[in-house]
Amino acid sequence: MSLKNILENFSYYRRDAEAGGHHEYEHRFAMAIDLDICTGCNACSTACYAENNLPVVGKERFEAGQAMHWLRVERYWDEIEGDYPEQGAKMIPMMCQQCGAATCEPVCPVAATYHTPDGLNAQVYNRCIGSRYCSNNCPFRVRYFNFWSYYEDSWPEPLRMQLNPDLSVRDKGVMEKCTFCIQRIRNAKDKSQREERPLVDGDIITACAQACPTDAIVFGDTMDPESRVSKAWAKHQIHRGPVTAKKQKADEEIRGYRVFDELNVDPSVMYLERVRDTEV
Amino acid sequence: MSVKVNRRKFLKMLGWGGAGTALAGCDMPTTVTLEEGKEEVVSYLMPEEYVIPGIGVWYASTCTQCEAGCGLHGRVREGRVLKLEGSPDSPINHGNTCMMGQSGVQSHYNPDRITAPMMRKGGNLQAISWEDAMAELSKRVGPSSGVDGKRVGMVTGTISGHQSVLVSELLGQLGSKNHYVHEQINTSVWRTVCRDMLGDETPKLNFDKARVVLSFGADFMGVWGSPVHNMGEYAKFRKGAERGTLVQIEPKMTMTGANADLWLPANPGTEGALALGIANFIIDRGWNLVDVPARIRGTLKQYDLVTVEKVTGIEAEKIKRIASLLSERSPSLVLAGASVENQENGYDSVAAIMLLNLIMGNVGNTIGATAKFAEASMQAKQGGTKDLLLLAKALSDKKLDVLLTYNTNPVFTAPDVLQVQAGLANVGFKVAFSMFPDETTLSADLVLPIHSGMEDWGTHVAAYQPEGAVMGFQQPLMEPIHKDTRGFGDIMLSLLKLRGSDFAKFDDYYSYIQTSLLNMPSSIVTSTGSKEETWNGILQNGIVKTKGTTTPLVPKLVDVRYKPAANNSEYPMHLVPSARLGMWDGRHANIPWIQEAPDQIAKVVWGSWAELHPKKAAELGVKNGDYVRVTSASGSVETQVYVHKGIHPDAIAVPVGQGHEEYGRYAKGRGVNPLKILNPIMEKRTGELATYATRVKVTSVHKTGRLVKMGGSEVQVGRKFVRTISSSVFQRTEKEV
Amino acid sequence: MSQVIQDKVIDEKLEWSRINADVIASMQSPRRAYWVALAVCIAMLFCAVAAEIYQYKYGMGSAGLNNPHMWDMYIATFVFWIGMSHAGTLLSAILHIIHAQWRKPIYRFAEAMTTFSLMTAGIFPMIHLGRVWNLYWVLPYVSDRGIWPNFRSPLVWDAFAISTYLSSSALFLFIGMIPDMAILRDHTTGWRKKFYGILCLGWRGDDRQWRNFRRTYMLLACFLIPLAISVHSIVSSDFAMSIMPGWHITTFPPYFVAGALYSGCAAIMTLFVALRYFFRMEEYMTLNIMEKTCKLTFAIAMVWTYLNLIEFAATWYGHNIYDKELLIDKATGPYAAVFWTMIFCGMVVPFTLCFQKLRRHMPSMLVVSILLNLGMYVERWMIVAPTLAMSHQPHQWDVLWGTVIQWAIVFGSFGWFGLLFLIFVKLFPCVSMYEVKELCFHLKHEIEEEEHEKQHAAKAKAGATAGGGASPAGNPGLEGA
Repeated sequence: MSLKNILENFSYYRRDAEAGGHHEYEHRFAMAIDLDICTGCNACSTACYAENNLPVVGKERFEAGQAMHWLRVERYWDEIEGDYPEQGAKMIPMMCQQCGAATCEPVCPVAATYHTPDGLNAQVYNRCIGSRYCSNNCPFRVRYFNFWSYYEDSWPEPLRMQLNPDLSVRDKGVMEKCTFCIQRIRNAKDKSQREERPLVDGDIITACAQACPTDAIVFGDTMDPESRVSKAWAKHQIHRGPVTAKKQKADEEIRGYRVFDELNVDPSVMYLERVRDTEV
Repeated sequence: MSVKVNRRKFLKMLGWGGAGTALAGCDMPTTVTLEEGKEEVVSYLMPEEYVIPGIGVWYASTCTQCEAGCGLHGRVREGRVLKLEGSPDSPINHGNTCMMGQSGVQSHYNPDRITAPMMRKGGNLQAISWEDAMAELSKRVGPSSGVDGKRVGMVTGTISGHQSVLVSELLGQLGSKNHYVHEQINTSVWRTVCRDMLGDETPKLNFDKARVVLSFGADFMGVWGSPVHNMGEYAKFRKGAERGTLVQIEPKMTMTGANADLWLPANPGTEGALALGIANFIIDRGWNLVDVPARIRGTLKQYDLVTVEKVTGIEAEKIKRIASLLSERSPSLVLAGASVENQENGYDSVAAIMLLNLIMGNVGNTIGATAKFAEASMQAKQGGTKDLLLLAKALSDKKLDVLLTYNTNPVFTAPDVLQVQAGLANVGFKVAFSMFPDETTLSADLVLPIHSGMEDWGTHVAAYQPEGAVMGFQQPLMEPIHKDTRGFGDIMLSLLKLRGSDFAKFDDYYSYIQTSLLNMPSSIVTSTGSKEETWNGILQNGIVKTKGTTTPLVPKLVDVRYKPAANNSEYPMHLVPSARLGMWDGRHANIPWIQEAPDQIAKVVWGSWAELHPKKAAELGVKNGDYVRVTSASGSVETQVYVHKGIHPDAIAVPVGQGHEEYGRYAKGRGVNPLKILNPIMEKRTGELATYATRVKVTSVHKTGRLVKMGGSEVQVGRKFVRTISSSVFQRTEKEV
Repeated sequence: MSQVIQDKVIDEKLEWSRINADVIASMQSPRRAYWVALAVCIAMLFCAVAAEIYQYKYGMGSAGLNNPHMWDMYIATFVFWIGMSHAGTLLSAILHIIHAQWRKPIYRFAEAMTTFSLMTAGIFPMIHLGRVWNLYWVLPYVSDRGIWPNFRSPLVWDAFAISTYLSSSALFLFIGMIPDMAILRDHTTGWRKKFYGILCLGWRGDDRQWRNFRRTYMLLACFLIPLAISVHSIVSSDFAMSIMPGWHITTFPPYFVAGALYSGCAAIMTLFVALRYFFRMEEYMTLNIMEKTCKLTFAIAMVWTYLNLIEFAATWYGHNIYDKELLIDKATGPYAAVFWTMIFCGMVVPFTLCFQKLRRHMPSMLVVSILLNLGMYVERWMIVAPTLAMSHQPHQWDVLWGTVIQWAIVFGSFGWFGLLFLIFVKLFPCVSMYEVKELCFHLKHEIEEEEHEKQHAAKAKAGATAGGGASPAGNPGLEGA
């Protein structure tokens, strides 16, 4: 990024997020999570531990709030007056939303968190110096910091034989978060390249989506109009980019929504509202 | 060493197994082979034959983390199994897994596995060689031991397939009839009622056909039946043309309850009365689709709304609504689970609940027949807690000289009053076949370390066969990690060979399974192609599809003899020893992922807690994190409180699974075990242990601490994380488009 | 010792040789109290160093930081020390260009305070970093891989701002001391003579040197003022540029600058009382100057209070529900005690400065100034912690009170600052000799002129006129040379 480059392409670089930013996207990976069939069983979270070499921190560190679950299933109770939560509990799998206008990206002093042409917020572990500004600026609070050298005691022999060699084990002082299983994306891209064909829907499946016993998580590329996720987004009238008047849903009661959409961070995860039969 | 699977053979098998599923990219040259038998540090530039550096290969197998028998695909890279995924070919889990399946690798690689045989010498277990261990076994149970077969017993968990055959064979050879099948988490009472009222122990539950599911304490997505299968069915139930409605009635909100459209706690133990009240109302209105004999009609009459409301604590209005729901949205599916089954009146309550299925015409509709595996000896022997009581009795009566334990942990799960631990001292020789140093294993005189599910061969016939009779095939995903472990089947075979038998012709368990599978009669499998092709097919799929035998359901109304349990003023509270998907009965407490995965409802990690209703908590003057003492007539436990509204005010739920005294670094000394304080109450009709029938009193011990749980705020504070819309809106926006 | 000056900035009749002697005496032969203070500071610093070694070895978790609280006391303390640094600039630069003469006896130590608090503040980002060994990646050095820092990040701006400010204020401090170095060179022996000989850069005190000196000093002062304001604005943008409730506030830059000046003035008051007492500087650090400092502090306190209330009002009447919720939480939630301490110390305590009796009562002023600084410290904490504790995501709400490690490092930073300051006062004059002389000279001149005018008027009355006496010429700094 030389000065000349900046001057020549000034108007390009200052395009705002609504106009697509200065990204030339090849893919924009996204998810659609149906909270009506999400049971909150935690299979996704455990699958994430298995796939992404997430350390187990133990009771004391969990208590200190230093757990490393990239994907956590949050449970909320209804704020009710009655004696019993008659509509059950509210469950939501919360992971990095891979925002299109991510607030974590501009604040990193060393650009260790950046936007890939795949529409992901990549975290470059090697570049991270641990200022933790990105996490502070994340409204979803889904960035996890290596507060300790977890690797030293998370995988006593022979447990470390399970570690996935497709991605690294992180040392202390580094920020990390859900990557949409970037190693699986990489593998699928390599494979499609070898087979000299374009990437098609279903080539990539994230660990959480693969494990989900109810198939509540759909993963795919929103730039491929034929993908399941694109169709789900279209059906629920959720559009890329910040919320503007022309992107409002035709019917407010259509289920699709993005968490904190009002902050205009353009999350890549669409949730479908939980449904309850209120007539019973 | 009886395991004759040397590496070359192993590779050959794996190579075939992976041939169909290997990822592309096999264009990498593997020109260098390694001289056999040499143990050297070899760089990946010189890989072993079956290893393609950097390329993960998927092998099919079967999950052994619980009894559901889900199909698995294991990702193997550089000779290590890294990740387990559900097998899309399996009719049980359809490519999905639960958290227990995912953490299978941590059972396999667990740092606390037993790595060498151990024998009790002078009170302590000391490592010995396999030769010595087998010699000792031969000395104690071999032909020259003079052991009385009738005084030999074996305790296992649910067991099926070829290993079940070998166990039966061994016990038969010894002349023993003492096979105790113990499963703490079971559906025994439900099964018995199904057998009596439907003619089939494990009928097929068609969630997708049901428009309403009314579940009395059946945590069918958690620990009831085949959870992964049920969750898949649940998704269909919700996503169908019309969204199904789930009503859950249970004393403590389970994960299934958390997903219910209507969740209600009836007074614990009165669910049967509620079912009868609903049935009575339905029949009163003439909504029943199947006629009810006058005899039963007469009994039902006494369950009018006023009485039922008084007994169950559920408002008459709600009972009416549930009844009209069952009628308006027929077909429905009515289930009963642990909190109903494991009461003193469990059988009668479940029968009353099953009555609803019968009168609403669900049988043959949402409840169908399942195909059974044709070979009866390989069908699953499902366990319960009845055998635990029998075992305890046999132990205290000193009726056993030799006890073999495998895949179950009665010392942990048995209530203190049964004195299983003490009773084991009456047994002269106890052999544990075990991967882990659990309580039962460490009470044994001879400990034989066995292979993990990812190192051993095996076959599993799931008890619940939803889509045709299949056998799950388990193959090693990698070479054994520890050189001194052996397959359970291999040990069984060598024991059988001590007395000489038909099994002598098999070199090892592998050859036994292979021969057996390839020679299955055409009444069970239709074989296509050569034996080699068949065998490769089995290795590739991990599933053997068989022709099952299906017997149609015969609904039969039984007499309703429901009687609510008596109250107890000294111990006013009901103890709910709740179980959850993941921890199960405590067998997964040694898996760090499971320990760190929060409970689905309380979100507590790495320990025990007691769930209390805010009303009760206010009465006791306790809040989150305070310690309470839960005292039953048989003992007491002390743990921290988690207060929420998803529990009956008269119930206190203490989760099962923690409180291990042994079982490795992750489980040992963590939390409390509510099973220990259960009273020895039996379910009257089935003889199962009524685990939910224990009454307790709760007192604050005026001690507080921080409850280690996930999540700061318990509510969304006006945020839009989880939004809820009514199903009428949902129907309008999504179904009619 | 003459009677305490009550109503004048300084007794203009002070002899210049006495000024030299008094100030040089303060630099020599430390008394027991000095050694005790030094030992205490070193002990505090040792605590921090031990804690930091532990934290460096085992990771940031030892500070008790966790998922919502990615930042905590370290950043609050960093902002506090940066804020404190603004007092020196205020006294030496801003008051210099507006010709406030009373600043002269006290600006030197204030400026030293600036430099040292910046040196303390600069350590905190390093303590705070997860991988401090890669700190230099924040700087835009030429890398063969073409990797640059992210210029959009306020943390990079911080790095530029603080390093510029630190070097400028150190330079400013040094340049302002040159004439004094020359005096010291001339009045000391041994190593000190050599030391000051080097530092005075060959100062002879001729006209050209004075002219250049004044010009340079004024230029630096002009440069430093916008720099100081920008530094704290940039520090405030660490917060204001984020999306978090309670941070994303447009009034943050002036609010931070006001807060910085406020805490700086309070710190000056503390040091004023301490130095006046320990170095017996009653004649130089007069009650009159204290009064003026107090009035200035009060004015700034009111600006800060106003900005604070503005912020509350904007939040209260704004539409950002997260902000509003946070404000209510601050006032009523787990941090309420700390929040109200801040309100009390920052908004109520300054009203004691309205009373002349109190302003002239040194022990009271010591207590008040410490209370003001406590208020300003917890203000920084109340900026950092509650936002993280109660942000957008309620699932991650958590209250953090830090661990021993964190508190030890924060505590130790005061030791580090004190140590630097204690070394400074024995190596360099904490009262500017040449400027005190200037001050006396000007006062004397003013008085003489007044008297002269009186005489003149009297004479005129008497109908006689006479030529006025010429003022003594020459530069005050040359006295004794």
